[in-house]
Amino acid sequence: MKNNENFTMSVVLKNKFGTLMRVTSLFSKRGYNINTLHVAPLVENNEYSRIILTSNGDQNIKEQILRQLEKLVDVREAKII
Amino acid sequence: MKANGAEIVIKTLISHGVTDIFGYPGGCVLNIYDEIYKAGESLNHILTCHEQGASHVADGYARATGKTGVVIATSGPGATNLVTGIASAYLDSTPLVAITGNVDSKLIGKDSFQEVDIAGITMPVTKHNYIVKDVNELEETLCEAFRIARSGRKGPVLIDIPKDVQAASCEFHGGLPLPLYDNPVPDDTEIEKITELVKSSERPFIYVGGGVVSAEAEEILAEFAELIDAPAGFSMMGLSAMDYKNPRKLGMTGMHGVYAASVVQSEADLIIGVGVRFSDRATGNIGKYTENAKVIHIDIDRAEIGKNVAPDLSAVGEIKETLTRIVAKLKAENFKQTLTSWNERVTELVTKQQKLFDGSNRNPGDFTPRKIIKAVREYTEDNTPVATDVGQHQMWTAMNYDFGAPRTFITSGGLGTMGFGLGAAMGAAVGTGKRAVLITGDGGFHMNMNELATAVTYKIPVVIVIINNGVLGLVRQWQRQFYGERFSNTTLHRKTDYVKLADAFGAVGFLVKNEAELRNALDKAFEVNDGPVVIDCHIDMDEKVLPMIPPGGSIHDLIIK
Repeated sequence: MKNNENFTMSVVLKNKFGTLMRVTSLFSKRGYNINTLHVAPLVENNEYSRIILTSNGDQNIKEQILRQLEKLVDVREAKII
Repeated sequence: MKANGAEIVIKTLISHGVTDIFGYPGGCVLNIYDEIYKAGESLNHILTCHEQGASHVADGYARATGKTGVVIATSGPGATNLVTGIASAYLDSTPLVAITGNVDSKLIGKDSFQEVDIAGITMPVTKHNYIVKDVNELEETLCEAFRIARSGRKGPVLIDIPKDVQAASCEFHGGLPLPLYDNPVPDDTEIEKITELVKSSERPFIYVGGGVVSAEAEEILAEFAELIDAPAGFSMMGLSAMDYKNPRKLGMTGMHGVYAASVVQSEADLIIGVGVRFSDRATGNIGKYTENAKVIHIDIDRAEIGKNVAPDLSAVGEIKETLTRIVAKLKAENFKQTLTSWNERVTELVTKQQKLFDGSNRNPGDFTPRKIIKAVREYTEDNTPVATDVGQHQMWTAMNYDFGAPRTFITSGGLGTMGFGLGAAMGAAVGTGKRAVLITGDGGFHMNMNELATAVTYKIPVVIVIINNGVLGLVRQWQRQFYGERFSNTTLHRKTDYVKLADAFGAVGFLVKNEAELRNALDKAFEVNDGPVVIDCHIDMDEKVLPMIPPGGSIHDLIIK
């Protein structure tokens, strides 16, 4: 893969059953690998959780993952950190 | 007022203007069906033979009308039978709300009878889905489901409702529709850059997709094409977005695109993709696809920009509004393009195409697919919905049928679902109140032909034209082309008598072997207003879909013979 790089992503999403699966299923559906994953409720508002995950891919893949994540109804924010 | 979950479902549908629903009852939707019974004539429910059929009927209904299709199924197998229909709707961005019952919430997770995690199963093929575990959340969830199905890029939403939630009561507020979510709006600099690039192009080509049909932007599209003096090619989903009488319409591009459209596209210096996703079937080899041209991509879905083709410029916004702004900008500058040599070249290619593919190289007596489709077109009106299954007959229809109005081509483009056609044609007929036509193959028709019974019961007028070659023709064509003529499992050897079959279902059937017999049958079929008619057209098994660009190929690899 050209310009393959590791990156870390933060995804803020609703804290309810099934939402983690929506995010991980999106990765597997598009053929992207998750290397590490951590999820916890936001300290300031436990109706939402933050996923911190690491993955790898080129710039296009990074963009595509972000755009697809933003389309998920339960996702409030997705960004590279 | 107080209402139980099932009442909330039905009353919310009615509040959303839903008049027709499609489905199949079962143990876990008994409460909902009880409310359908009580709703009487305010809600027309069509009972299909199979839940998959119901999902395609709802999909065809939505595609032909622009409304949201609604389908209901019970838990377990009822729900899983919807999956292909939901996925077909997802890939072609059709607004659909699927409602499934599930076992009592206290039984969920215990592998109860007819229990399945349909929300988990449909997650990758829905825009969003829900399991409603509290009746207090049901009304809002239903309204939100309709809102999501219709907002932005449209698509299916599934709501799974356990049986106890359907029975439980809570306060109901009327189930009124919520305003749609705002669409992204391109900023002025993006619009300006696009107009500048368009103005500088000497050989522009507009590539039109299903997004234009969905946005009902056909008028502004025609105006845009006129203003910039550009020819237009189409993805299969976009084919009905321009009237065939418009000389700018070259037809479908891509793997089985028509000759002129594909060659013109390859010679363009600018490809303006509108409401398209540049699918692999449409572009072939991506590198070669864009090697001579700049690309502008206009779409409502930001995730489509750069997914398959990296555009030079893009605009993310509602298609009609975005095109209107581009046209307004060009008009404000008094811009009116005249590209004489480019359009002469286009005309030259169209003339060449007519010579190559008008069938004049065939024996006059040959009963060709092209003749069948041209004959059918003489009987249809511009706004007659035409559905297909998937395969050779679908490509022949896309290439030869003259689409005269938007939303008239009802076909499974993205998922390529064989068995889609009959249900979809019925949905289109129910939704528009017009006679629909199904052009199908013997393979595709065999997959869901049980729905003939539904069309008979509900007196749905559908003229079913089976282009019967006794083989799975498109797969066979690939076997001939790429697999050394090893025709593995594509010769059907079936003895189905479609005339008797139609008769057995309570419909009328004809067997035709030449054009005169076909016309005779069509004369009679288009007189029938209260049910389906089957016309079994026997053609040669070696009729091919041509031209063809092989997978991953480019215009240089075009197969003409």
